Amino acid sequence: MAARDPDPPHGILSRIAALLIRGPDAELIRGDLDDLQARDLARGITPWQARLRYARNMVASALRVAVVRLRLPDVPRISALDFKLGFRMLVRYPGLTLVGGCAFAFALAVGAGTFEFVTDLVYPRIALDEGDRIVELRNIDTTTREPERRTLHDFGVWKAELGSVVDIGAFRELDRNLTDEEGRLEPVLGVEMTAAAFRVARVKPLLGRTLQEADEQPSAASIVIIGFGLWQNRFGADPEVVGQTVRLGNTAATVVGVMPEGFAFPYFHELWAPLRLNPLDYARSAGPEIRVFGRLADGVTFAEANAELSTIGRRAALDSPETHERLRPDVRFFAVSEFDVSGISLSGFYSTSALFLAMFVVVVCANVALLLFARTATRESELVLRNALGASRGRIVTQLFAEAVVLGAVALVAGLGAATIGHRWAIGVLAQDGMRLPFWFSDSLSPTTVWYAVGLTVLGACVAGVVPALKATGKGARGGPGRATGSTSGLRMGGLWTGVIVTQVALTVFFVPFVIILGIQMAQIGATELGFPAEEFLSVRVEMDPKSRLGEGAESRGDFLARFGESYRELQRQVAAEPGVAGVAFALQLPGTYYRRGWIEVEGVAPPLAELGHRAQMGTVDTDFFDVLEAPVLAGRGFDAADLESGARVVVVNESFVDGILGGGNPVGLRLRYLNPTDRGSLPSGDQPPGSWYEIVGVVQQLAMTIDPDLPLGHGLYHPMAAGSEHPVRMAVHMKAGLAAFAPRLRELAADIDPALRVYEPRPLDGVAADAMLAYEAWFRVLIIGGVIALLLSNGGIYSVMSFTVSRRTREIGIRVALGADRHRVIGAIFSRAITQVGLGVLVGVGLFVVFLLQVLGSTITPSVTGAAVVLLYMAVMAGVCTIACIVPMRRALGVEPTEALRGDG
Amino acid sequence: MGDLEQLILFAVLQLGDDACGVTIRESIEDRTGRVISSGAVYTTLGRLESRQLVVSRAEEAEPGRPGRPRKYYNLRPAGARSLLHAYSALQARAGTLLPDLTDLAEQ
Repeated sequence: MAARDPDPPHGILSRIAALLIRGPDAELIRGDLDDLQARDLARGITPWQARLRYARNMVASALRVAVVRLRLPDVPRISALDFKLGFRMLVRYPGLTLVGGCAFAFALAVGAGTFEFVTDLVYPRIALDEGDRIVELRNIDTTTREPERRTLHDFGVWKAELGSVVDIGAFRELDRNLTDEEGRLEPVLGVEMTAAAFRVARVKPLLGRTLQEADEQPSAASIVIIGFGLWQNRFGADPEVVGQTVRLGNTAATVVGVMPEGFAFPYFHELWAPLRLNPLDYARSAGPEIRVFGRLADGVTFAEANAELSTIGRRAALDSPETHERLRPDVRFFAVSEFDVSGISLSGFYSTSALFLAMFVVVVCANVALLLFARTATRESELVLRNALGASRGRIVTQLFAEAVVLGAVALVAGLGAATIGHRWAIGVLAQDGMRLPFWFSDSLSPTTVWYAVGLTVLGACVAGVVPALKATGKGARGGPGRATGSTSGLRMGGLWTGVIVTQVALTVFFVPFVIILGIQMAQIGATELGFPAEEFLSVRVEMDPKSRLGEGAESRGDFLARFGESYRELQRQVAAEPGVAGVAFALQLPGTYYRRGWIEVEGVAPPLAELGHRAQMGTVDTDFFDVLEAPVLAGRGFDAADLESGARVVVVNESFVDGILGGGNPVGLRLRYLNPTDRGSLPSGDQPPGSWYEIVGVVQQLAMTIDPDLPLGHGLYHPMAAGSEHPVRMAVHMKAGLAAFAPRLRELAADIDPALRVYEPRPLDGVAADAMLAYEAWFRVLIIGGVIALLLSNGGIYSVMSFTVSRRTREIGIRVALGADRHRVIGAIFSRAITQVGLGVLVGVGLFVVFLLQVLGSTITPSVTGAAVVLLYMAVMAGVCTIACIVPMRRALGVEPTEALRGDG
Repeated sequence: MGDLEQLILFAVLQLGDDACGVTIRESIEDRTGRVISSGAVYTTLGRLESRQLVVSRAEEAEPGRPGRPRKYYNLRPAGARSLLHAYSALQARAGTLLPDLTDLAEQ
């Protein structure tokens, strides 16, 4: 009797099965699913067909087990007629279709889009031929648990001796300025790599050739291979590019090939040059840092490759205990996730995310269920008649489920479309934000995500379709044929729906203020003046490589900074001498971008919270910074060269600091200090003594310091800095015109001073501020959509309850009015429950909001009468908005004629 | 006894000591072309076991090798009697009607 294969072939489907299939037989069923899958594959069925069969079996099994466990009625087959009827319902109830469909689609879009991103993050897949067999080989330092990248010697050994990993290669980063034949110069993200890389990737060049072993010889001609994007943008897709000479840093090289679109191995690279480092030239754990990769040999598992590498590692430890005793080599998937969530395993994080997203869909679909229940209530006569004619409960439930599936299918199409757009947009925003994503982050949804979305749709349809159907056909609802005439009422809006209504009103009330607050903050930031003519300034980031990275020997941090400072000063001098340049300055942060915050104490000024002190933003700037930006010093003085001396501890504060923290006056001469000198941004804990005092020597006009809507503080202080004290820095070049044209010149100047000096992200300073806003704008849009959906659902739910109440109690209204009761009092009594639900929801929502404000944002807001009035006003507005949903049903109830209401008594 | 129960009992009878979820499902698919979910197989087997028509035994994975356990089923005498009764009843009901049914189906 054979044991089961311990490695089920489909991780994601297995995980979904684990989520869906519960109960005493769950493990047996999941085991069968995996076994059947393996048998299908052994029979020669294609992997995709096998996956499809697995998924079908999984869904059918989950439903079957749920039906038995919950003692639900047997599920008859869904017929085409059920779906046809479902489509008819969509058309007949357009309002419900719109609100319910939008909510369903939104839930699926959020679910699928987030799932795709989490999958890319946690379980990346390399979209290359057998990409899951591409591996990284590395040495781990067991004392620090960090990889030891100086593995050139070991690379040679591994290449010669390892049999379980083939095509072993190595690479190291090569960020250089690339100058084309026309002299245009821009930095490129390149990599020096061995020829094996192209064999591992199994990608053929679009033009010319890839790297060959002969190119790795020191005597070989300098060559490069360029990526598709570089070829398109820098060489105008010139078909004759092969053979052209370019300059990479200060080295001339010939372009010998162009790689096809999408190729960016090993991570996000666009240029490849041969790695010309001979492993034999280096001792163990010596030489420049490299990364080693390869491909698992046919039929070899990770465990086998690791075992072989460990044997080699043990031998190395015996031969060179001083360098290798603490090193442990290992083989791992090349695209293994570096994502780390403290205290949670990756699989745990993945499952939790999938479950959380499923819960989100369930919550949204519970609201859709409320709408469908109200629709079902209007069809009560039809259901009772069908029951009387012999339709089982299961048959009716199946039909209502099919109707929800149709709604879900429409939502699925819309949701997947929105998820695709959202996913691309998110990746675009991250890219614009300067984040480089590896090439395996695809901008389209993977088949796994599509299947997950299908699963969510079925789950959502179960919640939105089956729950109302069971309620509508349950014991309390079933009655004799007399109910078909509407003479008696069986359906009730019970506690479940009351809970749903109260919850959704509360969540809406809780959620909408955040959108409004964020919108106000965004508008404020958008309207904030940067404080200087930003459009006249060109902003660039200036970087340089340390020698150790270039393989030119070791270099201390101090030596590197000194070298960088020297090159930078020369660059600034030459830039300032260029025609049209009115001034040049540098800083760690430029106005309109992110500034760090610190907790400070100002001598003689009591903070609002004594234990925390004041919170201010910290800038670090060149001594000429304020002059170049034409920001006038309003009191005291600006910085001068003497302020850079080691003993000088001076700061300049801005207007907002003076007004907001000091309450006006002249602050020159006052002293301040950081409460947490080692980590200025963290909350002061009292565990460490405050830092040294800094003297305020001047007040400068307000320059925009923040772009963060979460913390729109403008209170700021500036420290002086010298060139070469930090790396990298941002340079601001003031010129009245010709900013765009000056960027290439700036790069030329930098490259002439030192080929390793690179200039990134040239753009007008007002554009920098706009870019910094992108992520917040993205978040704001998502919140707006969510807020609108929440509001729609909330009001749709209230409307449904009201309509339901009126339709259930039409006769009662008629009789009571006929007996002489005041019409408005009757309506008030009937609607009191619904009004109570709305009121309760608003109260709970506002309560949650206030608690959140005080607990979470407590340190950044100050309770005030105005604030309380705003909350009360908002509460009234929300109650009013929710009451609007009651108007139509109320009017209908007010229009009930006693004679018509009694006619139904027949 | 429902037709799925009959199909599963026949499969258990046919497979002897090798009757487990996977083999039962495959046997039914091979012989009748009917695809049954694994969930349906186990819930039906559970029902048959609670009615004491089949008996199960759990088999752990082989020592030293990780894997999930399997459950194997055998027909009990009561199960055999029930199956025989159900089959006989169907035969008796069909009885002399079979030729007529065949003729009708061929039209």
